[in-house]
Amino acid sequence: MNRRSLITHRLVGFAVPLLLLLAVALIPYIWILLASFKTRGELISPEPKWVFDPTTINYTEIIYRGFDGYLLNSVIIGFSSTALTVFVGTLAAYGFSRFKIPAGNHLFFYILATRLGPPVAYALPMYLIFRELGLVNTYAGVILAHTTFNLVLVVWMMRSFFDDVPREVEEAAYLDGCGHFRVLWTITIPMTYPGLAAVSIFVLIFSWNELLFALILTGGDTRPLTVMIPSLVLHTGTQWGQVASASIIQSIPVLVFIFFIQKKLVQGLTFGAVKG
Amino acid sequence: MVQTGSTRTFMWFCMGPVLLLLIIVAVAPVTFAIIDSLRDLSLAMPSKRGQFVALDNYRDLLGTDGNFYRSLGHTAIFMMIAVPIELALGLLIALWINREFAGRRLVLTILMIPTMIAPVVVGMIWRFFLMPSFGVMTVYLNRLGLFEETSVFSGPITAFGALIIIDIWEWTPFIMLIMLAGLSALPQAPIEAATIDGASRWQIFRHVQLPMLGPLIVVAVMLRAIDASKVFDTIYVLTGGGPGNATEVISTFAYRTNFIRWDLGYGAAVCLVLAFASLVVAALFFKTVSGKAKAVDETP
Repeated sequence: MNRRSLITHRLVGFAVPLLLLLAVALIPYIWILLASFKTRGELISPEPKWVFDPTTINYTEIIYRGFDGYLLNSVIIGFSSTALTVFVGTLAAYGFSRFKIPAGNHLFFYILATRLGPPVAYALPMYLIFRELGLVNTYAGVILAHTTFNLVLVVWMMRSFFDDVPREVEEAAYLDGCGHFRVLWTITIPMTYPGLAAVSIFVLIFSWNELLFALILTGGDTRPLTVMIPSLVLHTGTQWGQVASASIIQSIPVLVFIFFIQKKLVQGLTFGAVKG
Repeated sequence: MVQTGSTRTFMWFCMGPVLLLLIIVAVAPVTFAIIDSLRDLSLAMPSKRGQFVALDNYRDLLGTDGNFYRSLGHTAIFMMIAVPIELALGLLIALWINREFAGRRLVLTILMIPTMIAPVVVGMIWRFFLMPSFGVMTVYLNRLGLFEETSVFSGPITAFGALIIIDIWEWTPFIMLIMLAGLSALPQAPIEAATIDGASRWQIFRHVQLPMLGPLIVVAVMLRAIDASKVFDTIYVLTGGGPGNATEVISTFAYRTNFIRWDLGYGAAVCLVLAFASLVVAALFFKTVSGKAKAVDETP
């Protein structure tokens, strides 16, 4: 095969299908991105507009709808539940990795079960008890719910990272007279930092993207973005420009993060069942 | 490890927070739900004030509630159509894209967008894409003569079909990513040997790669099937279970019972039946994964 036909072959055989594949994955998203810069008339035009004069009006209009408040709620819920999940989950993962926990397998199993069932099945029981405790419509309720839901991810992934830390390192520190807490905090955890960072990002994304618990457990001033976006579908008609701009802002942090945790993406999405 | 008395204390320091959390958010709520499922309790109907009715809610649900069984059926059909297609497409794409090329990392990131953005955003994107009359997809489908109506969500079959296609769009990249991880971990020697022996690409896939990928395929399918059985966000946004109840799945059914009709006693029974069913599934998953994942890890 000469050089030119080799290049043609590569182009037709790989580059062109690859572009098609990227188009299928991306066009619906690009369409909403374009929509976020359109005027109302362009949004519901019988002739789809691919070229138009961009406007930022939708991004200013969502501010009047209290977008910054919802964004702040998403941030508060996301970061608080991530901190709590990582704290509780990492300790438990270390426990599972290093000690023989009485009935440990059962416990491990119940943590997993919270994630495998339909969230709505756990949302009602939580709603019932949070209503008694006055936690409905507060940050605490939804933060606890997200923490429970994401715990399995932290426990499973951190356990496998702890298993990878050689015991000899810890034993040397014990011989030097360090206590358990000090060994964990100053030696073992720092050795898992890359993994810990990836796990934290996963938990943050899952909380950031979560709808059902947020829908049921928040209200008034505590609703996050995922609840705000579908609320723009009104009986009088949907504010598509606002839906588009809110969706774009909601998804940008996710896009940035997946680029950075790509190596751990498989492991995170399969709760550590598959290693990348 | 040095065994001292402090080891026990430290173990409880590790496990204490998770136990406390599970009691607050799992044990106590489920106990509450069990009690409520034995009562007639509705926030919308004044006559149902929490009278004790023993197992009546369960009897009505499992015995006579056609809507419950219909939503179970819809969930099963949804799962059985969407997941195999996602597996086939994901595997195909992974086999084809499994090579080195410039910009690989960026390409993979872009391909993962449908899986990683919020499902509620996926729902809104497609709602806009398929909007009646003005949605870009509706317009082009109408023009091509492939579709006559003004909205895909007004017919039961087209609405269900659209939801399945959206699920495939959303989750095929997930399968692709898992398969890609599996393929790159496969030992190259058997593949090279087969190539030297003159095996075709299909033969290599069928007799060399596929058997080695087996355990991973089981894990991927189980994860997807479990997730597909829980589908809620996209349906909530796109059809709300309609038209009629043509796209009602178990999650939207439970949501509607509890948080639209506020029939909490009956709804608690629905949730507990689902939670129990998922415990059984979880047990199966636990068994499979702890076996299969080891097999995957041990591949050099």
